[in-house]
Amino acid sequence: MLGLAKGLSYTLKNLTRKKVTYDYPNEPLPVPDRFRGIQKFYPEKCIVCNQCANICPTECIQLTGKKHPDPNKKGKIIDTYDINFEICILCDLCTEVCPTEAIIMTNNFELAEYSRDELFKNLEWLDENDENIRKVNKA
Amino acid sequence: MIRTEEMLLNVGPQHPSTHGVFRLVVKIDGEIITEAKPVIGYLHRGTEKLAENLQYTQIIPYTDRMDYLSAMTNNYVICHAVETMMGIEIPERAEYLRVMAMELGRVASHLVSWGTFLLDLGATSPFIFAFREREMIINMLNELSGARLTFNYMRVGGVKWDAPEGWVEKVKEFIPYMREQLVGYHQLVTGNEIFMNRVKGVGVYSKEDAINYSLSGPTLRCTGVKWDLRKDEPYSIYDRFDFNVVTREEGDAWARYHVRLEEIEESLKILEQAVEQFPAEGEILAKVPKIIKAPKGEAFVRIESPRGEIGCYIASDGKKEPYRLKFRRPSFYNLQILPKLLKGENMANMIAILGGIDIVLGEVDG
Repeated sequence: MLGLAKGLSYTLKNLTRKKVTYDYPNEPLPVPDRFRGIQKFYPEKCIVCNQCANICPTECIQLTGKKHPDPNKKGKIIDTYDINFEICILCDLCTEVCPTEAIIMTNNFELAEYSRDELFKNLEWLDENDENIRKVNKA
Repeated sequence: MIRTEEMLLNVGPQHPSTHGVFRLVVKIDGEIITEAKPVIGYLHRGTEKLAENLQYTQIIPYTDRMDYLSAMTNNYVICHAVETMMGIEIPERAEYLRVMAMELGRVASHLVSWGTFLLDLGATSPFIFAFREREMIINMLNELSGARLTFNYMRVGGVKWDAPEGWVEKVKEFIPYMREQLVGYHQLVTGNEIFMNRVKGVGVYSKEDAINYSLSGPTLRCTGVKWDLRKDEPYSIYDRFDFNVVTREEGDAWARYHVRLEEIEESLKILEQAVEQFPAEGEILAKVPKIIKAPKGEAFVRIESPRGEIGCYIASDGKKEPYRLKFRRPSFYNLQILPKLLKGENMANMIAILGGIDIVLGEVDG
């Protein structure tokens, strides 16, 4: 019985310790700056190089470009940009390869929706997702 | 005369003590198991086949999801295999970051195994204490890599991020704290008479059986075989650290429990030395081509994960995707001895035996 009593004394000792849990979701959860949440997209920075779509392991990024409206300028600008968060694994590879940092991570992570279709996010939604943007994007 | 007959009982796949989606079909005669048949594959994602169409960098997030309790070692094994094929030398600072991340992962993984093992046996409070300490490790790894479990931290040639400011000091502070908690863990559980009765002499197998069944990690070392790849085939920079290989002679669940707890202490020793030797500055990524192509040929590397030897075999035909990729997943191999161990045991011991083997279903099913 001695072992049992010793164990119980450890439990009792821990009763007085400061609690370690968070009152989430009533209070926001503290996350570090590097935390990989939902992506933010800057349409004006994108050069339609397709690198993010190519590196994506689950092929959840789909994008199309169009000719620059100003005929004097070369290159393309972004037309549509969709991320399917049903299959996105938030691995951060898209932001790693982006040469212009047009796609970057935010610290927002709440993605729950009532229907699967709502997990399909388009360019406008990703553009508006501009809170808690990660400060440092590349090592 | 009472008519008796054998009963077929399904344990799992949705059963909390199977640590995931593991199904066990047991034939019981009263309380005694006469036959046990594990059924696996509920979490099979075909990582190896998927990898054949993925670039090497793209495979790394998939390895996170195999053994999700120690994703850092999985990250390392794939990077190590590609680096071996390409002959890349890793910068010193990156090696130290890798070792620290892996050892923190090992401590976290053993804490989960300790907590859930006791939870299965009916002790709830150790689980809470184990997760309290694990949360600190996870927070540290979160600061380092940006994710709590699926780190995707290592890259071919180094690591993705450098340590953030004050991170190494945090690790340094954590070591004495964890040592103090370990004393508490022993006080809480190790001397407990009920616990001792539940695990002593349960699930015993011999040295020969362990080797014949290709067991590795704590499930091998609990029989007295001194085999740890960190010591016997040092990879990364493990040859620079002074630590012991923990072994026990008994070969039962009690021995496996002790091996795991003592391995936490040894990991803390490694961490302590790594923090001390950590270079003040330096590169974190070697010079690697932008598109990684492993040269034609094949390679097999193996490292010590918390559950045992994890191996990675790559056959390459010189393209940016592997021709064939194979992981030797320790949980899968460790599980093979289970039907033999369960025969003749009673139902309550089944939980103790399964918990003692410490499987992760993401890894068993691949």
